[in-house]
Amino acid sequence: MGAPSAPKVVDSSAVASTTAEPAPSEARRWVALHSYNVRICHWINVIAGGYLLLSGIHIFLDFPELYWGHTGYQGYPAIFRLSDWGLSWDEAGELGNRMWGRNYHFTSAWVFLINGVVYAVWSAWTGHFRERLWPARDELRASSLSAEVRDHFRWSSPARTAATRYGTLQKLSYSFMVFVFVPLMLLTGLAQAPAFAAAWPWLLDLFGGRQTARTLHTIGTVVFVLFVVVHVLEVLLAGAVNRSRAMVTGRFRVPEEAQ
Amino acid sequence: MLVSVPALGGLLTTGCSDTFRPPTVRSGLIGAADVLTMSTSRWLQRDQPLAREFGREHIAPEFPTWGQTNPDDERYQQHVSEQFRHWALPVGGLVQQPRSFSLADIKALPARTQITAHVCEQGWSAIAEWTGAPLSLLLEAAGGVKPEARYVVFHGVDRWYESIDMFEVVHPQTILAYGLNGEELPVGNGAPLRLRVERQCGYKNIKFIQSIEVVDSLAGIRRGTGGLSSDFGFHWFGGV
Repeated sequence: MGAPSAPKVVDSSAVASTTAEPAPSEARRWVALHSYNVRICHWINVIAGGYLLLSGIHIFLDFPELYWGHTGYQGYPAIFRLSDWGLSWDEAGELGNRMWGRNYHFTSAWVFLINGVVYAVWSAWTGHFRERLWPARDELRASSLSAEVRDHFRWSSPARTAATRYGTLQKLSYSFMVFVFVPLMLLTGLAQAPAFAAAWPWLLDLFGGRQTARTLHTIGTVVFVLFVVVHVLEVLLAGAVNRSRAMVTGRFRVPEEAQ
Repeated sequence: MLVSVPALGGLLTTGCSDTFRPPTVRSGLIGAADVLTMSTSRWLQRDQPLAREFGREHIAPEFPTWGQTNPDDERYQQHVSEQFRHWALPVGGLVQQPRSFSLADIKALPARTQITAHVCEQGWSAIAEWTGAPLSLLLEAAGGVKPEARYVVFHGVDRWYESIDMFEVVHPQTILAYGLNGEELPVGNGAPLRLRVERQCGYKNIKFIQSIEVVDSLAGIRRGTGGLSSDFGFHWFGGV
């Protein structure tokens, strides 16, 4: 695993300057941080993921209990009941519209899936996964990880606001979402569908039943919400305007104090 | 199975595009997603796999009654009080010999018993043993379907109706059930006859069937979407 490639300096004067002379400080201030693919797929993901979450909540509210195994219905031993947490069956049913939820859940799932395939193929092809998303071996050493965790819990960190590549914790969480979370959400979703369970009976064996798959899918929803909350918090801490702009235009301004 | 019903089996090859597309495609992205979902499901099911069948030990302690559980219909209640002795099922439309079946006629057909999971689109599921007549055998007893037949429409009590395409009609697990867990089908679960279409969600498994109609198009029937649930706004294909 080689060193992650440094982001390209976009200022033309800096690119032209191939001599050993240091580039003027002004030229060092802007770097190209995010590729077209990452930016487009990211924002499609925001829309599709948002609809998946909202429609999923609607579907859940119309049957707000969770079970384990193949069988689960009102009156059968449940492992989670929303009514135990203060929202009765009827109140939840008032809030949830499963017809709207189902229509938008499956539509946004297709958008999410197609977008994800485009992202994955591009990222594997260009080396984005290998070079930017996957942690290097030395990054995973205990000393390196603990230093990063310490830095992480400082509210104001120049290393964070100036970073032009992902930190190790960031790489680990993104890799988890891409390679573990999304495939598991897809499979637990498909295991609940009778058409797919008939074609791929191993789906039921993999999770031990439709209700188990539904429960894991719901736990996954909580994981997704936690991911989004932490992700947005990190963006705010790392420079809300600078980071959001970089995800739109691709260009990132390296803060003065970090140069 | 396909060999025993050549009139039905022939349709599987001639009506191929119907297998991958719902009868009416909704507008916008939702319609595109419907087509993707149905064509993906059907391509994965191209060898007509059976839905999982379970051992008796998996049968749920009770089978839920849901939705319409005791139709407030005078004629229906009359049949209940007579234990469906005078009940009859007209089978018409694009069959060679339209006719009526008494419950005894249907029970005289070779029966199929299957222990399967009922998957309600609302989120619950329960395993039960269903006994009934394969739909393909019933249609064969009405002389088989005409070559232009594409959908089978089931009319229930009240305003309920539902339809399935020939891909599901010829499937061995598609039965008209009159027995639940070794007993007569209870009123709460759709007596005397309900559809079992095991690779689709609960809402396709219409209860209280009163008549069956074989058609080449769903356009002229009610609102034209092929079922009361799809008239409401659910996807006609209930595979997910």
